[in-house]
Amino acid sequence: MGHRIARRSLITAALAGTALTACTDGGEEELGGSGKVGGLISVITPSHSNIFYKTEAEAAVAEAQRLGYTAQADSHDDDANLQSSLFDTAISNGSAAIVCDNAGADVTIGAVQKAVDAGVPVFLIDREINERGIATSQIVANNSQGAGLVAESFVEAMGAEGPYAELMGREVDTNAAVRSNAFHAIIDLYEGLEMVAQETANWDQQEAFTKTQTLLQAHPDIRGIIAGNDTMALGAVAAVEAAGRGGDVVVAGFDGSPDAVAAISAGKMHATGIQQAVLIAEMAVQQADAFIRTGETGMPEKQSVDCILVDPSNAESYTLFAVE
Amino acid sequence: MSPTDLASSELAPADPATPLSFAVHGVTKAYGATHALRGVDFALEGGQVVALLGENGAGKSTLMKILAGVEQPTTGTITLNGEEVSFADPTEAASHGVAIIHQELNLCPNLSVVDNMFLNREQLRWGFVDDAAQRRSAVEFLERLQEPIDPDTLAGDLRLGQQQMVEIARALSEDAKVLIMDEPTSALSEAEAKVLFTVMRDLRSRGVAIVFISHHLEECLEIADRAVVLRDGLIVAREDMADVDMRWIVTTMVGREESELYAERQRVPGAPLLEARGLVVADPATTGRAAVRDVDLDVRENEVVGIFGLMGAGRTELLEALAGRNALESGTIRLEGKDLHGRSIAERIEAGLMLVPEDRQRDGLVQSLAVGANMVLGAVQRFARRGFLAASQERSAAAETGSRVRLKAAGPEAPIGSLSGGNQQKVVIGKALLTEPRVLLLDEPSRGIDVGAKADIFALLSSVVDEGRGVLFATSEVEEVLHACDRILVMARGELVAERDPRTTTREEIMALADGGTSDDGGDDAH
Amino acid sequence: MLTDTLTPSAVDEKRSTPVLQKILGGRGLGEFLMDQRAFVALLVLIVIFSFLSDAFLTPSNLVVMTKHVAYNAILALGMLLVIITGGIDLSVGSIVGLSGVVAGVLLQGWELSLFDATAYPAVWVVVVIALAVGGAVGALNGLLVTRFNVAPFIATLGTMYIARGAALLISDGSTFPRLEGEEELGNTGFSFLGLGAPLGIPTSIWVMVIGAFAVWLLISRTAFGRRLFATGGNERAAELSGVKVRTVKMKVYIASGLCAAMAGLIIASELTSAAPQTGETFELNAIAAVVIGGASLAGGRGSVRGTLIGAFVIGFLSDGLVLIGVSSFWQTVIKGVVIVIAVILDQSQARLKKRRAAAEAASSVAADAEGIAADARA
Repeated sequence: MGHRIARRSLITAALAGTALTACTDGGEEELGGSGKVGGLISVITPSHSNIFYKTEAEAAVAEAQRLGYTAQADSHDDDANLQSSLFDTAISNGSAAIVCDNAGADVTIGAVQKAVDAGVPVFLIDREINERGIATSQIVANNSQGAGLVAESFVEAMGAEGPYAELMGREVDTNAAVRSNAFHAIIDLYEGLEMVAQETANWDQQEAFTKTQTLLQAHPDIRGIIAGNDTMALGAVAAVEAAGRGGDVVVAGFDGSPDAVAAISAGKMHATGIQQAVLIAEMAVQQADAFIRTGETGMPEKQSVDCILVDPSNAESYTLFAVE
Repeated sequence: MSPTDLASSELAPADPATPLSFAVHGVTKAYGATHALRGVDFALEGGQVVALLGENGAGKSTLMKILAGVEQPTTGTITLNGEEVSFADPTEAASHGVAIIHQELNLCPNLSVVDNMFLNREQLRWGFVDDAAQRRSAVEFLERLQEPIDPDTLAGDLRLGQQQMVEIARALSEDAKVLIMDEPTSALSEAEAKVLFTVMRDLRSRGVAIVFISHHLEECLEIADRAVVLRDGLIVAREDMADVDMRWIVTTMVGREESELYAERQRVPGAPLLEARGLVVADPATTGRAAVRDVDLDVRENEVVGIFGLMGAGRTELLEALAGRNALESGTIRLEGKDLHGRSIAERIEAGLMLVPEDRQRDGLVQSLAVGANMVLGAVQRFARRGFLAASQERSAAAETGSRVRLKAAGPEAPIGSLSGGNQQKVVIGKALLTEPRVLLLDEPSRGIDVGAKADIFALLSSVVDEGRGVLFATSEVEEVLHACDRILVMARGELVAERDPRTTTREEIMALADGGTSDDGGDDAH
Repeated sequence: MLTDTLTPSAVDEKRSTPVLQKILGGRGLGEFLMDQRAFVALLVLIVIFSFLSDAFLTPSNLVVMTKHVAYNAILALGMLLVIITGGIDLSVGSIVGLSGVVAGVLLQGWELSLFDATAYPAVWVVVVIALAVGGAVGALNGLLVTRFNVAPFIATLGTMYIARGAALLISDGSTFPRLEGEEELGNTGFSFLGLGAPLGIPTSIWVMVIGAFAVWLLISRTAFGRRLFATGGNERAAELSGVKVRTVKMKVYIASGLCAAMAGLIIASELTSAAPQTGETFELNAIAAVVIGGASLAGGRGSVRGTLIGAFVIGFLSDGLVLIGVSSFWQTVIKGVVIVIAVILDQSQARLKKRRAAAEAASSVAADAEGIAADARA
């Protein structure tokens, strides 16, 4: 759907962009405060094949349109070069603002600087960059806090004792380490809980499935599996079921994907944490709107939004990356 | 008729009243702008062996490929027993009873002899390949050729000669009425060739029509009933073999008298350029055996030395050791007084000693490069200035050398594959000449080259030597050592057994010497 | 000191009993081990891992590991056919994902906007359609290679992206999570492929065994098999012998696509969920299995037995490393080392064979010369 919006918006944006560039003179670009509402907001995120990014992009686009802007969504597929050229496109399209879930904390700095120099303010969501003072806002979910919530729920369900295994995400992703550390910050406090295995499943469901099958062979006494994201958790769930041990093993993940929530409702999984992707995206667009109109957002640059724990108690009241 | 049917049916003896007839009429074949055949009428009759003669590039292979369905004629018709036929592919030709043994061996090295023989004509039983029946059949044909090969051997593990016999066996097993043989003896030993001729005579008596192409003109004289000579895409002569002789053949093929082919020279050799003493070279393929045993030889300025020997005599190993490719077990090699011990091939070329190898396709030319590029390959550094190649210098050197060796090619940019065998050899020699050798070594320089080009090559070597260089070549063709060198060395079983002056020796004497040297040997107890 | 006589090479001389000699087929022990090196490697792996982990040789673990091997083995069987012709198929991983997604779409209800209805095809129909999709991608590969003369590496690299993209487009990026189907819709039973176990043996293992048998029959007993090897061994010679080389190649690429689709269905069935990213890098495991099993990437050589053993080697190696808790970085390195060693050993064996053949050739040349000499004297 994002692509369909994108295509329609492209034509509008092209026209709008031409109009806008025609209006601006060749002098120094001023950032925001033009007082005008309307214009193009470019939304740049990782690949929409992951429902999380798809949701945040769609939420941003919807909010932008609600506020009277046109919007275009593109994905950079976690490729810094592609991201850079998407920024270029956004600039030459005459975007009023860029909302971005970026491809790397260091490699994005240049792209953001480029946009800002060209007069396009940048609002980062979900991931930060390693520099202050360039982007107007950096709104992230508090992964640490969220993971901690999940870990606490996990500990509780395990009765604070027993052997468990951990499935980590792709090692080159900072989030993998962030979540793992957050898990351990809580779990390691409980001496009764013993981690008997730690494997990477590269955020992939099938890999988590096969690795969990093997882990269950290696350590038949495992009573819990905690995974860095929901996709891997679901793979672990399938493996547990295939081994006929559904119900024996506590499985927890992170992300709040609809499949995971469904599994929690069905009693196959225990907990996950939602990063409020919708809320964060909406916040970014709202702040962009405020900035465009008034030259200020009224918020500090770095903002952290808490995650919500989803477990059997509230799984029913869940919608896409948001709880009612 | 499917090939399988033919293979299993008995070849009935031909009815002498109506022998098979197979002919082409007015056939031309054009490849782009070049015409390989320019209007050929060629007829075959069952129970006859026709020798198709002609220089390389005359169009023999093309004509045979058309007969066998591998290529289609641009214009012209093919008739079989009076009816017009056309072959879209070799399978269709085979179904009409035409089989061809190609010049380049067409075996799949990873399949066994049996599987190669029955490729695309597999015998089936209940839908699966009937290995047992195929093997029996294969053994039968191999025995007919007196070739004791285990039919389960992989074709790639066979010697070249055995591979060729397998190809022949395959053609035989196709029970063809027309058999086309393109250079069938090129890799065969004398013994094997004799067996082949016996089989051919047998086929002839059963009414098969045979076309025989061979560079070994003596073979054509021996086995064929008729001679047809092709020159520049046209048939220039048709005679009964009984009415002609070698001189006629060569003259008709080449268009020149044979005596003109080899230049007369009287040369006075100068100072020694290459001196080898006590050379012993290990056999690279077999541990514990010496390929060259205690050889002494000299090559002097202004001198062409020819080494004659049979297969296995050690000629190639000797030349390769001189060039630096094989290591010496013992002995010394001096070029103009400098000891070459331990020098690499490149260093020896630098010093002025270079080898033109036997397998020019594999070892002498780079197939993906053009003619000019191949020629400057040996001397590339001479055209380099501060690391970059001077293209114009390269080109002029290539052009100059090209005319020096009387190269017939479309130009220095022509792909090397477009050249005939003789011209390819000239490129290799040109490449060697560009390195300004003092002594030029050549291993079987005329292999696979027709008579006309052969004469060119030896004339070229003669002129090279007149510049004050030395040439040493190895060959298994007696005529060459008798006509093209100043001094003959005979090699047998790794030793130089004799030295002769070509003006005073005879063919028989050389052949006898090449066989000799076996008297003291305990004989091989390998098997 | 050199002698004239041909001495048998040292490799041949082995002090071995007559019985052992018979088993070794008259060759040396070293050469035998080299020939069977993939199998030897597998045995070594099993021994090492069973020492390092108690869980390795348990029946349930062996079943789990064999199931993991099965996905790769099924892929590798198709890959073997392609590699024998001298080609390669990089698109199989994407086909795995695509076929799962196709099955997912069909099982979750195919919206036919034209008829304003949703179709819920029966499971067997779903399977057939998904296989057909795999075959179609294979046919595309075959077309590119035979009609347009695109090098197989490039052609299948392209279709790899096309198929992956198609999977993402069809699924719009999301997964199809609930593939069990519903009774009323008559489309239950999909999980049979991945989770069923007729006679106590998991379905995927049956598919592997039956598939292996079928492919073995095909390449060693049928005329097609001979022509397949001929195409890989010397394409020109095969063509000149009348083999329809293009048809052969087309067939093997389609077969590879079918195998990949089958593997994709099994995986989706096991997870009862289909994700478009599934199968990334699977092609490398398939190629590795074929290569470790002794096939030559240049074509003309390969065996089902070797491929199966290769798949087991890779599978047991991967799972074994997880069992003993080796870090995943090391897992990747070790896998790579194993593949490189396999190829090096393959080359050494080829060189040994060549030297042996040359030796035999030299000796028969000498025998010939003897013959001529004898003739001359006679």
